[in-house]
Amino acid sequence: MDAMTENKPARVVVIGLASCFGCQLQITNVERHLLDILGQVDLRYWQLTSSDPMPEEFDVAVVEGAATTEEAVETLSAARARARWVIAIGACAVTGGIPAMAAPGFEERAAAVYGEAAPEACGALRAPAPVGSVIAVDYEVRCCPIDPLDFADTLQRVLRGSNKSVPTSTLCGECKRNERGCFYGRETLCLGLVTRAGCGARCPDLGRPCNGCAGLSPDANVASARAVATRSGVDPARLDKALELFNTVDPSLAPKG
Amino acid sequence: MLYRVIDAAELPALVAAFMERYEVIAPVRSGRSFAFEAVGSFDEIVLDYPTTITSPKKYVLPPRETLFRFDAEANEVTDYVEAVTPRVIFGVHACDINALNSLDRVFRDARYPDPYYEARRDATMVVGISCTPSEGCFCHLMDADEARTGYDLFLQDIGGRYLVSIGSVEAANVLEGACNPREATDEDRIAFRRATRRRQASFNPEIPDIQEVPMLMDAFHSDPFWEELGGRCLSCTACSSVCPTCYCFDIRDTLDPDGVHGRRERTWDACTSPQFAVVAGGHNFRADGRNRVRHRMYHKLNGFLATHDRNLCVGCGRCVYACKADISPIEVLRFFERKGAENAD
Repeated sequence: MDAMTENKPARVVVIGLASCFGCQLQITNVERHLLDILGQVDLRYWQLTSSDPMPEEFDVAVVEGAATTEEAVETLSAARARARWVIAIGACAVTGGIPAMAAPGFEERAAAVYGEAAPEACGALRAPAPVGSVIAVDYEVRCCPIDPLDFADTLQRVLRGSNKSVPTSTLCGECKRNERGCFYGRETLCLGLVTRAGCGARCPDLGRPCNGCAGLSPDANVASARAVATRSGVDPARLDKALELFNTVDPSLAPKG
Repeated sequence: MLYRVIDAAELPALVAAFMERYEVIAPVRSGRSFAFEAVGSFDEIVLDYPTTITSPKKYVLPPRETLFRFDAEANEVTDYVEAVTPRVIFGVHACDINALNSLDRVFRDARYPDPYYEARRDATMVVGISCTPSEGCFCHLMDADEARTGYDLFLQDIGGRYLVSIGSVEAANVLEGACNPREATDEDRIAFRRATRRRQASFNPEIPDIQEVPMLMDAFHSDPFWEELGGRCLSCTACSSVCPTCYCFDIRDTLDPDGVHGRRERTWDACTSPQFAVVAGGHNFRADGRNRVRHRMYHKLNGFLATHDRNLCVGCGRCVYACKADISPIEVLRFFERKGAENAD
């Protein structure tokens, strides 16, 4: 019997894998609501705040970062075995993010950096991968970094058992709701064409093209987006290249055949 | 309908008179385009704007609105009454007035009136203005190039002066108080006819005028064209974000971070959103771009007409620019033109 079914506060652990830890920091970045949020859970472990070891029992595992070592894989497997719910937060955990840029030809890359053997402190290196490719993930909080209120909302869904559907539409609809013109009219590359909506298109709203940190939508039409780029005077190869920042290991971008 | 004529130089006084009692919304420059926004003076208004990125729809059906608030612990609901700002939307094109009229058909349906919409609509006056069609405009093909009802005033530019159609007593009083409206003369009426002809002659001739579009939609329901058109859909929903008549919405509960209080919210939804037709159990009735885009075009060019005797599409052309994948009703009209040419061979 876990805490959640006994009507006690859910026991939560926060795990940090390969990442800048910025998304964990973002959780604390809503001072106005932080005590409200922490008051609803029984926080059992958080590497950022305490050196206590991960406990044996908990209900919710919040994971930031990509899996880049065998030890990380073991940590994830252990978390999955214990947690009723796993929440992946941030681009590194959700899409592999920046760490996963090293995934293609990883052994050669590691050898080029470390020579024959990486220092022991690195752990047993493996090709960086998103959390969801190692263990089953129940909820995702996207973007680099995460929006703390998006995290709070996702945590509420976990605590309440909400099955609210998460749209997979791409970004331009939100951009138009902000009444913004299109970068493609200015021959400027923007990944909003294929990137999952949900962030409110805030970068384009601030005058910066989307860099795809929310990850490729499962409904992304990359072929059509390449055609849009070509028609707009943007080399489609630049679109492919830009997608590598956060989407290198997205299976839908893998070479076919 | 009552008609009067005012000089163009009297417009600032008219706007100022509205500002005394109402929030005035008008087209203003926004980046490289235009947008309807609240204005503080006549000088901000760009009356000869070609089009705006989104339409005045946002003032009667906001992209996100709270329907009520709740307390999950006490299990209580608080009816949410938003203070509706009395507004004048100044400088609305005929297509957008026709679009508001279509939204009225839906949200003011006597059987299921929508109180949130009605409150806003009742507090909103509309001042229309004549326009010159831009490249993407095809309102004339959708029978939406003239606004016959649905405005408080309509200003037809007849060269240095405006022929004003008066649609409400409230607006007539403001007009009367702010300007020196005079009876229209024969000369004014001739100038009006000229202006109308000039507008009619300015439409982009590349956009084909197709007869019997609703019938053709049914006849070519299974044509491979829909795969070609929908196959390039980016699933972004920009089309419906800019559309003056897309009225589908989703309703969601959102908890505050305290986990106790929350809001039931209505947000714009779109049939081009991949999850739009997902039902309990997970089945998606329109799982791909072909089905979603075809459905959208059917509602715009066929379905609404069957129920309400008017095209839902008003030919404003916004989606023509907003859709990066070149999907718009114009592409459907072009398809019918090609089919007609093939059949004639």
